[in-house]
Amino acid sequence: MTTEAIGTRSTPIGARTAVLAYLAVSGVVLLLMMLFGATMRLAQAQWISLDPTWFYIILTMHGAGMVGIAGLSGAAVMWYFVGRYVPVSTAVFLANLGFFLVGAVLILGSGFIGGFAAAWTFLFPLPAHSGSLWSINAAACYLFGLISIGVGFLLLHLDIVRGILSVYGGLGAGLGFKQGFGLAPEDTGPPPAVAASTMVAIVNIVGIVFGAAILVMSLVNLYVPSFTFNALVAKNMIYLFGHIFINATIYMAVIAVYEILPRYTHRAWKTNWAFYLAWVMSTLMVLTVYPHHLLMDFAMPTWALVAGQIISWLSGLPVLLVTAFGALTNTYRSGLKWDAASGLVFLGVAGWAIGVIPAILDGTIAINSVMHNTQWVPGHFHTYLLLGMIAMMLGFMTWLGGAKSPLGLAPVGFWLYLVGGSIFVLAFLSAGSASVPRRYAVHLQAWLPYDEIGSIGACLAIAGVAILVVRFLAGLRSAAAGGDDSVR
Amino acid sequence: MSEGRLLAAAGFWVVLWLPPVRSALESDMAVHMAVQLPLLIAIGVLAAPPLRRFEPRLLADADWLGIPGLVLAAFATSLWMLPRMLDQALADPLAELGKFLSLPLLGGLPLGLSWRRMPGLGRAFVWANFIPKLGAVGGLYLAAPTRLCAYYGVDQQAEAGWTLITVAAALGLVSFVAVFAGRPRAMFAPHDGPA
Amino acid sequence: MTRGFIPLLALVLAGGMAALSWATDGFRVVTSDGARQLAVERRPLPLPDIRLIDQDGHPFSFADYRGKTLLVDLIYTRCPTICGVLGENFRQVLEHSGANKAGRNFDLLSISFDPAHDDLQALKLYGERYGAVAPRWRIAVPSDRRGLDTLLRSFGAVVIPDGNGGFVHSSDVYLVDSAGRLARIFDADAPWSLSGAAIHEAAR
Repeated sequence: MTTEAIGTRSTPIGARTAVLAYLAVSGVVLLLMMLFGATMRLAQAQWISLDPTWFYIILTMHGAGMVGIAGLSGAAVMWYFVGRYVPVSTAVFLANLGFFLVGAVLILGSGFIGGFAAAWTFLFPLPAHSGSLWSINAAACYLFGLISIGVGFLLLHLDIVRGILSVYGGLGAGLGFKQGFGLAPEDTGPPPAVAASTMVAIVNIVGIVFGAAILVMSLVNLYVPSFTFNALVAKNMIYLFGHIFINATIYMAVIAVYEILPRYTHRAWKTNWAFYLAWVMSTLMVLTVYPHHLLMDFAMPTWALVAGQIISWLSGLPVLLVTAFGALTNTYRSGLKWDAASGLVFLGVAGWAIGVIPAILDGTIAINSVMHNTQWVPGHFHTYLLLGMIAMMLGFMTWLGGAKSPLGLAPVGFWLYLVGGSIFVLAFLSAGSASVPRRYAVHLQAWLPYDEIGSIGACLAIAGVAILVVRFLAGLRSAAAGGDDSVR
Repeated sequence: MSEGRLLAAAGFWVVLWLPPVRSALESDMAVHMAVQLPLLIAIGVLAAPPLRRFEPRLLADADWLGIPGLVLAAFATSLWMLPRMLDQALADPLAELGKFLSLPLLGGLPLGLSWRRMPGLGRAFVWANFIPKLGAVGGLYLAAPTRLCAYYGVDQQAEAGWTLITVAAALGLVSFVAVFAGRPRAMFAPHDGPA
Repeated sequence: MTRGFIPLLALVLAGGMAALSWATDGFRVVTSDGARQLAVERRPLPLPDIRLIDQDGHPFSFADYRGKTLLVDLIYTRCPTICGVLGENFRQVLEHSGANKAGRNFDLLSISFDPAHDDLQALKLYGERYGAVAPRWRIAVPSDRRGLDTLLRSFGAVVIPDGNGGFVHSSDVYLVDSAGRLARIFDADAPWSLSGAAIHEAAR
């Protein structure tokens, strides 16, 4: 009964090495970007001094870098598991890593050499109007970096689509569309990893298509300023793309929950009609929820904002509910052995569930109009990214490679990360509820306590993640040699 | 059969070249961009299968996975979508001839020849790139505050922009429905190259 | 990868970039207007002498402006849209330059390309609407059809009927230098920059 849920294909050594390469890059870049983040918090706490110009460069790099590795490590989780059910190409998977690295170099160059600091969302027409802080070429370099990363992900998702089509015939079947609406028996549905990969492929391909269009238009505008466009349309397209991409990372990472927990509990992950319906609903809602990023744009049509509010209340819920419920039923009285990997994966579900609460508050128009420019917003997305998405990714990392690590210390890393991360996000959330603004390089005296507590949390979390990542890197050689990881 | 296709392609070309047809298809910017240019490209695609026999072996080998051919077609087609080149084709008979020759020969023909060499993933990638680029060109034409073509008014320009965006949206929607329902034949049809 | 792939790809890329570069004057312009602006800026274009008649019925020609800088726009008096902007721009150019002594060293000229409708009466009314007084600001038509065609060709201006009895036409402003050459072409936007450029040119 477990074997069916675990997939019939085994992962070839080459593919396994490629996944390990993804995780190694993700781990190293994650640590670097966490250090950038801590630098900003330490500067706000006035424990170090940092030129505001550099603050905004670091802010931009931290945002782009974190979104990037969330995507990259999510892709590693997804690809590793979906490859057990459908044929996927290791060459394409590695090509994505190549495009990502090229993009990362371009983006880092645009910031640290070119001074680009228009935030990762590159809102039109900011990239072209730097007030001489950065050049047109630096802005173009950043946009080309994003295009390179987009090209890689587009190839990867299309290849997964090809694999899904070759086994299931259509994306509807891959998603479990019929099962979700009771048109086909529940037990004929695709495994969770396939349903999730289908959903992510759909939303990310749509997102990348819109992203490519706005990136091309922004590039043309940089070099031919007489080509302008409606700034509100541009913002809509950017947030459609940006929201989908970052949101999709958690739907990729959650595959780790579906695949890893059953290996500990020796129980198959139960998929019923509700599970498939949840994924169908979330597909639609992830595509349409982005207007909640524009609640302060009064020029937006009211219906779009109201829809944004309602969908953002519901958006995360279907998959979150079936996942949280599934995780509880899967582990309840299963006698599973808790270790760092299973703990991290389980924590990921909890972090996601808790992170949804401040997100729903911020998605409410009445609250958004006073909270959106406060640290409440970084508080909410750090909750579900740092304690949700990254927890699942670290769990996958620890499960795949960490077990073979010569270093112990995994529990120490786990607790440092959990305690530090919690302090860090709570500092953001409480500062936000005290109206401390976000994106300010220099803080008032009254705000410093939040920044100091946040800095301490950040440093603890970095120490924890550093332990987990170093453990993983130390065990890489033996992890690459392979070995059956199917059931332990 | 193959001669029939060639004859048909040549016939279409001549019809499109006829002055009344030309002026009818070029009097409106949206028709110029969304009908005449695609028809000229289609003529090249139509002529590709019968001309395949005459393709030099060396060239066919060098066109790995159809990539160089697709790049050539992308250049040739996007060139004639520049506002200046749209103008040039109307102002200068020589440029018009250049358009009528280069779109079928450097746009459609390599597209037709190379498409068969592209693996499904490559075709899907090209398609998924074509749709947003078409939409982006439409968006730029739609939102440009000034007149970009000397021969077309701002209202025609906006109409052309909307037309391109509508075509892009329709292509996107149809592709999505086809892939969702499981009929992506065109995209993943058999090809000559390695998988 | 097959043999010959890289050379062929390189060839295609190089050829494609060369073609794009040629079509955009080295990636600087995408419109024919832009191309023309760049071309006259690089090499001012000698203008043929064209004979015109102004709103007071005085005949004159381009040659009469030798030694003086001239700002020219192309209009038709029934124009409901862009010509209003052009007229208002010229009115403001006059206003700005009035305060400046060097600003008196250039003249303004609005040429109608619609001789069928624009008789002296129409030109006069148009001029009065914006406070144009000859010879500082003439509202004129070419004396004959051939002159009009020569004018449009040498300015590179395209005028097409809009189907409602009016015209779609370029809203550019042309700067003719003291040697009678077409030296700059501006998008009709800020009157400030127009008068600035004209004063600058006149002071040379």
